[in-house]
Formats: sequence, C-alpha cells, structure tokens
Amino acid sequence: MTPEAVDAVIRGLKRAGVSIVCYLPDSLFKELYPALDADPDLRTIPVTNEGEGAAICGGVFLSGKRAVLVMENSGLRASVEPLARMGLGAGIPVVMLMSYRGDLGENNWWAIPHGITMEPVLQALRIPYRVVREEAAIENAIADAYASAYASYYHAAVALGGSIVR
Amino acid sequence: MSVEPETSGRPMTRYACMQRLAARLRDELVILSLGGSVDEWYNAAPHMRAASLFQQQLGCVTPQAFGLAAGLPHRRIVSLDTDGGLLFNLGILATLGNERPENLFVVVWDNQCYQSIGGPPTHTARGRVDLAAIARGAGLEHAYTVHDLDGFERHCAEGLAAQAPYLVVAKVAGTVEPGIRRKHSDGREDKYIFVRHVEASEGVTIMGPSEHN
Repeated sequence: MTPEAVDAVIRGLKRAGVSIVCYLPDSLFKELYPALDADPDLRTIPVTNEGEGAAICGGVFLSGKRAVLVMENSGLRASVEPLARMGLGAGIPVVMLMSYRGDLGENNWWAIPHGITMEPVLQALRIPYRVVREEAAIENAIADAYASAYASYYHAAVALGGSIVR
Repeated sequence: MSVEPETSGRPMTRYACMQRLAARLRDELVILSLGGSVDEWYNAAPHMRAASLFQQQLGCVTPQAFGLAAGLPHRRIVSLDTDGGLLFNLGILATLGNERPENLFVVVWDNQCYQSIGGPPTHTARGRVDLAAIARGAGLEHAYTVHDLDGFERHCAEGLAAQAPYLVVAKVAGTVEPGIRRKHSDGREDKYIFVRHVEASEGVTIMGPSEHN
C-alpha cells in the first residue's frame, strides 16, 4: 500500500470514531499494520485468528467504543461462525476491513480460493460490503460501513483491492 | 501450588459456585456461555440479570469479555466460560497473555462434558488436559484449578481485585441445578437489555437514535 492509501484508511477509521483495531496481519496490508500500531489514537490488538478478533470486536461494541477487524479476506472464512452467531443471533455488529486476495490479476495459486469465496460468503451472511479499488474512495467507504452497521446493528465490510494493494 | 487438592465426597456444583460468586458482584459486567449455565446464572444472580450478557456460542465468551474489558478499562468484567468453549478457541489465552487486561476475571466451568447436548465428554474428561496449565503457558501467571467451594470463593475474591488477568478453572459436576426458572429471552433481547444497562451505568450511548424517526 502507498503511504497515501494507509493514511486514507486511518482517516476513515478516525472519522468513524474507531479507537480499537483487532488484526491478524497479512502481506497485502503490510504497510498498514505498523501505521495502526504507531497511531496514538488507536489501540491495536493482534489476535490469533480472525474469528477471535470478530468476537473481541463484538465485545468492544458492547462497551460503547468502536472497533474494526482488519485482515486478509481469507480471515472472513475463519470468522463465519462468530459472525453468524453474533450478527444473526444477537444483533452485535462487527465492521471488517479486508484485503482482497484473489482479485482478478492474482498471481498466487494459494490465493485463488480467497477470491472465489469472499463475495459468496459475504452474500451468504447478508453482509453489506463494498469493494474499493481506488484510493480516493477508501475513506468514505469506511465511514459508510460504520453508518450501515450502526443503523442495522449488523456487520458491514470493506474490501480493498486492485492497485490499492498490488 | 496451582492445583488445589480435590476434596473427598461429591464434586462441587456450578450452581453453588455461582451463588458464592454472585454474592460478591455489584457493578461488574458479566458475559457467559451457553447451555445449562444460562438458567443457573439467571437464578443464582438475579441482581445481575441486566448486567449479564447470555451468549450462545462456543469460543466467543472470553474474547467478547476481553473486548468489553478493553472498551471499559475502569470497569471489572467477568467472563463465565466453559471447558468446551475455551477449548474451541485456546488462542484467546495467548492474546490475554500479551494484552494483560487489568480488569478481566475469567471463570471456566469445567464439567468435562458438553452438558447441553446430553453430556458427551470434552477433552478435559480424560484427566490429561489441564486448562489452567495451558493458560499459564500462554502467559497468564494467575491461572488456577479449584475443586472446592471455599477455594473457589477465595479465588473469586482475588480475581475480582486483581490488576492482571486472572483465570480460575472450577472443576464442577456435570449436573444442572434442578427446579430452576427458565430464562425466556433470546439473544437479541438479551443484547438490548445488556446494552441499555451499560448505557445507563456508564452514561454513554451505544445504540442511539437514527437520523430521522
């Protein structure tokens, strides 16, 4: 990611009132994680798997603070169980920011499943999402995800792909 | 000494432990697991009903409690987890070991079975898997196993006052307290009750009005 794209993500998170970031690091967002760690207004919590991160974010929601789960889109698959339970069972929302591995142009064989499964999994869970491939659209997409999540009390997701992460 | 001696006679019940813990709670917030412990806590701690979130998911209880603890660092949070629930996501112990919340007390009801589906054994049933030892290995210095009520209550007192993450594994019988009242609400209603309680007690808005009515 370019420094400008990293800044746009952090601007979007701050505009949405986020103060806690749960993440499991990945390669496409590798420039983002140290920037999140270094930001004095954000508390970062590295987790052992994305489902754990989703549950922690759910707990943060219950406190009145705002959290985000940052991950590669493969982490969505690891999060499905807690997302289904919290979102569909209790109305506890989690906002996710994921890198779009397996997008058109992917040149790693192991990443192809991520592209095949991401949007169908989001759709199966009825999670509103936006795929963003232009840096100029990052900040608004993040703010919009929070607006939706805090109106529906359901999850929302932003996937960053294209030239933003390649 | 991390593992306290097993007392002779019948094993302690989860319900009796809950009564001891409930008597010590006032302003804390509680997140608890699914199954028989839901109705037991509903009855053992009637003054904590609005302050307790009844969740229906293995592996999410302590992570949610930690998220709540991270968001409300001035408030004591209690996680009432289970052997099956903790085994579902042992990674949270490593996260707690690194993050070191000063306001989180974790109780693990270890009845050595998946009680809510009729009692097939969990991995702790064979006596080899030691959840407190796993927790200590993950960096939680305060992680203990108890077999008796007085020992449990002593750890409640210490855990509720600790300035570091504190975990106690309570070895309890695989029975449910008979004759107790069932909780009627579902997860969605429970969430609203809990959130409104947090809003009122913290003076914050979590689920506020829409832009237009």
